[in-house]
Amino acid sequence: MMEKNDVILKTVGLSKNFGSLKAVSNLNIELYRGDVFAFLGPNGAGKSTTVGMILNLVNPTSGHVELFGRRLSDNPWLALRRIGAVIEGPAFYPYLSGWDNLAVLARSIGGIGNQRITEVLERVNLLDRSKDRYSHYSMGMKQRLGIASTLLRDPELIILDEPTNGLDPAGTKEIRDLIPKLAHESRAVLLCSHLLHEVELVCNRVAILKQGVTLANAPIGELLTQGQVLEVKVADLPGALAVLKTLDWIKSAKVENSSLIVEAPANSGARLNQALAEKGIFASELISRSASLESVFLQLTGGTEVE
Amino acid sequence: MSRLIAAELLKLRKRGMTWILLYILIGIMILIHVLTYAFSQRAFPGAPADHTGGLQQILGLPLALPLALLFLASLGAVLATIMTASTTGNEYNWGTIRIALISAESRLRFLAAKLISVAIVVFIGMLIGLATGFLMSLITTAMSGNGFDFSFATRSYFWDQFLQFWRTFYVIAFYSLMGFVFAIIGRSAMPGIAVSIGILFFEPLITTLMRAAGGWVSNVPDYLFSANVNAINALTSVPGMFGGGGGGFGGAAVALPSVQHAYVVLGVYILVFLAAGFYLFRKRDVTG
Repeated sequence: MMEKNDVILKTVGLSKNFGSLKAVSNLNIELYRGDVFAFLGPNGAGKSTTVGMILNLVNPTSGHVELFGRRLSDNPWLALRRIGAVIEGPAFYPYLSGWDNLAVLARSIGGIGNQRITEVLERVNLLDRSKDRYSHYSMGMKQRLGIASTLLRDPELIILDEPTNGLDPAGTKEIRDLIPKLAHESRAVLLCSHLLHEVELVCNRVAILKQGVTLANAPIGELLTQGQVLEVKVADLPGALAVLKTLDWIKSAKVENSSLIVEAPANSGARLNQALAEKGIFASELISRSASLESVFLQLTGGTEVE
Repeated sequence: MSRLIAAELLKLRKRGMTWILLYILIGIMILIHVLTYAFSQRAFPGAPADHTGGLQQILGLPLALPLALLFLASLGAVLATIMTASTTGNEYNWGTIRIALISAESRLRFLAAKLISVAIVVFIGMLIGLATGFLMSLITTAMSGNGFDFSFATRSYFWDQFLQFWRTFYVIAFYSLMGFVFAIIGRSAMPGIAVSIGILFFEPLITTLMRAAGGWVSNVPDYLFSANVNAINALTSVPGMFGGGGGGFGGAAVALPSVQHAYVVLGVYILVFLAAGFYLFRKRDVTG
């Protein structure tokens, strides 16, 4: 029996080329039981390709995937039966009802009764509409059915690709609340989302990809404290800006709303204040702001919008 | 495997298209009988003297069953091809292929379950088509005022029909697998349906032109599809003027390959379609 903090998913030098295009390059990530791991990246970053390789839908060019301590290629079915996934949005048979769609999956997997279907539909608040055709569902209901399908076999790893797409604010909050609960049931959750604020709220670890290359792979807390944003109020803004531009340890500095916004290494407020004071510029206010995931993301990806 | 077949049968049973194709089969078979009966009741200038008797003979027993099988070999093949190609290709169109594959024991088993479940539905459809032909024969015979004579119903007659049923299934399987493989190649239902039905209708025309060309080109059709399909269909006991006994539908009597040759050639194609379909399905990436 695996314990919390056991490695559930590990990718080792995982790479995928489509012709000359490097979709994923040497990806090394680890996902532990209890983790809510976010996978972020701009369009074409390689997130979906990576998820495809994890689920044995895409063959890696090099490297491999380990699930539950075993190579995926050794016995994919043994590993995949412990995973629930919604990939690139929910996709079900449009002519079947929500219930029948889950019944088809239940029959394919085996050992899942009608009681379990009822339970998972109830859990995502879809039981009362479960007899309606899937094609008549709203986007939010389709997302809920997608999540219900991942829970059907009581998985140890849940992969959710944009699970809040099309949900209203109440539905978004509901799913946002559900995700950490799923992970706390000694599972792990791999979340691909473009809502960075959401990711910051529910995830404990994050990997950021761009053009197949891993730009960051760390606990969110660690990532956010790698940099510090300081808001500095001074009387002589041009003079202060000129001083800061001579300091090589300052990452960036700009004037915004009569203040200087400075990106600097963590815990560098006193050092910055001293540098200004040495040039006869005295800060009237110095406010430390922790970086948001959005600012870290934009900084790492060069300001590209997230998918 | 049985779990996957059960899931596939549930999908087919709940799908409106399955029932629509069945209704089309039944409807067209009824229509053909009704029209043939109507023509048998009228005299046409220039028609052979025995035209009425000939049409009534084909509608009545014992020819009704082989005639129904002959219709199934053509109309049934079209409908079965549509069903097979759409069952496979729509998994790509709807994006359900991803969730289906991560729920299945393996890609090969998933595909095998799909083919087995389609084969079961085709088998049931053929039985229903045959029953429709038989019932319509009884009705038109009664309407013509002809008596019922079941003296033909010998063991040898039923054995012949039994064998022809499976020969027809073989022909349908051939066209269905063509639809199946092109749906996989094109990752969509449409290439499977369009290519196989296109071949089903246009290949006989090309074959006719090749036969007319003479020389070695005239022998090429022996290794294509329709000549071999016709050779198998020709085994039916329906008279040639109604599409049996050689030449296919409305075709002039042409030299057909031997039946053994036809089985082997179509069998090779079936194996190639299966191998190509399974190989591509197993090897290719499933991407959005």
